Amino acid sequence: MMNGITIGQFFPGNSLLHRLDPRVKILLTLCYIVAVFVPSNWYGLGMAVAFLIAAVLLSRLPLKLIFKSLKPILPILIFTALLNMFYVSGGVTLWEWGVLHLTTQGLIAAAFLAIRIIALIAGSSLLTYTTGPTALTDALERLMRPLKVIKVPVHEIAMMMTIALRFIPTLVEETDKIMSAQKARGADMESGGLFKRIKALVPILIPLFVSSFRRAYELAMAMECRCYHGGEGRTRMKQLHMGLRDWLALLTMALLIGGMIVLNVFVTPVL
Amino acid sequence: MSKHSPHYWGIRMALLEVRQLNYVYAAGTPFEKHALNNVSLSVEKGELIGVIGHTGSGKSTLVQHLNGLLRPTSGTVVLDGKDIWENPKAIRSVRFRVGMVFQYPEHQLFEETVRRDIAFGPRNRGLSEEEIEAAVKKAASFAGLREELLDSSPFDLSGGQKRRAAIAGVMAMEPEILVLDEPTAGLDPRSRERMLSRIERYRRENGTTVMLVSHSMEDVAAIADRVLVMNRGEVAMFDTTEAVFSRAEELEAMGLSVPSVTRIFFELRRRGYDVGGNVYTVEQAVARLLPLLKRGCSS
Repeated sequence: MMNGITIGQFFPGNSLLHRLDPRVKILLTLCYIVAVFVPSNWYGLGMAVAFLIAAVLLSRLPLKLIFKSLKPILPILIFTALLNMFYVSGGVTLWEWGVLHLTTQGLIAAAFLAIRIIALIAGSSLLTYTTGPTALTDALERLMRPLKVIKVPVHEIAMMMTIALRFIPTLVEETDKIMSAQKARGADMESGGLFKRIKALVPILIPLFVSSFRRAYELAMAMECRCYHGGEGRTRMKQLHMGLRDWLALLTMALLIGGMIVLNVFVTPVL
Repeated sequence: MSKHSPHYWGIRMALLEVRQLNYVYAAGTPFEKHALNNVSLSVEKGELIGVIGHTGSGKSTLVQHLNGLLRPTSGTVVLDGKDIWENPKAIRSVRFRVGMVFQYPEHQLFEETVRRDIAFGPRNRGLSEEEIEAAVKKAASFAGLREELLDSSPFDLSGGQKRRAAIAGVMAMEPEILVLDEPTAGLDPRSRERMLSRIERYRRENGTTVMLVSHSMEDVAAIADRVLVMNRGEVAMFDTTEAVFSRAEELEAMGLSVPSVTRIFFELRRRGYDVGGNVYTVEQAVARLLPLLKRGCSS
């Protein structure tokens, strides 16, 4: 029933984007999110889109995946575009009906915003498509390290995330098993009204909670047995190294944002 | 025996029949796996069938088809002459007729008291309160749960007691066929033996057909009438216990092994001792060896 579930949306591969240091990828994503909001003219936005297209091509991901990541935001996209179309006024009025005015300026604003949102979502989805969950939490831990100064338990947070991710498939399997067992005892989960169906979940949720707690105790015990005592003095098997391509990627991003700022100064804004 | 009974005429009608069953996991994805390949078998009323096979041989997949938890990719499961998927909406009624105890069934307990947990199945079946109460008591006694335990929380029981409570929960549905997937997994030798004798007694007194899935050859040899050997999604052998265990080499080739006593007897025979035919249980071995030892002492 729940076979073949994928955790997160990691799409394994060996492209340039896959091989980038995960820390760099997180930083690039954060920068890119800011970058799409920097340009005030078409040239700047064009640069952002070009950067995105280059990144998608370098990732060698099937284009279908990128479109799939855009699907859930489609309603938001349409809503904001419509709102902009009718709220922003200026330029030539194309159509009028009561309080609704459709102007050329409104259309431009709507298109501008829609492209921004698409670039934003597609760009950030590249991060999760090309980075495995463990690499992601690892990188997060390293990037959040400065927060230790203000007593944020960085290592513990990262460990919690890793454990949570690790146990999702286990939990799915367990749910499957318990569901089968209760169905074998005649549990009826497919019929009845809402209330009846919610009640039918009790025989599944209770054993699931019980086993989650049991698993947590067992894991804690196993970690204690191996003398786990938090992040202090802990070394890692996979060290993260910044290579030439990582610095180049950061440089490209710096150039992108720099270029956008320059364009903002010299080109008249569209909005 | 009445004249209407098929046994009277010497015809044995199969209670459960599996015909040309195929099952493919995750069809159409890169993870596709042919778990069952043209499996056909028939089981008669009151039989105790041992199902053995290596991990991934398809034995658990097969038994999940018997009560309609899995739907065959092709082929049919026929219960009492009727295809169980004839009316997919009525598949729940099949689950009461073919009771299924999963591996580590103690993980499925959820009610506040053991009594209510055992009653879950019969209640789903729609029995009256009196019938439920009677079924619970009967099942608890077959499973070896003392009555005073019935009002405690299932989470306060010991591991072995939990397992028995869970098995009682399936027995209480009074199925015609009881399928147990590794009921002795993780039990100590003594609890193992007790568990098997309880299952044996349950079958004897209720005439229920039992299918016992197990890794342990010892378990199967001790109580099964016939043994079904699964290998790579196919039926490798389905014969009397004697016939199956006499093919020790084939079994070993499938990564299975005959009971240790049987192996010792093979070896004894190979070394030229006259120990007679095959032996599957320690009791049999004792009965066979004692006279030999006595003869040896006197000569």
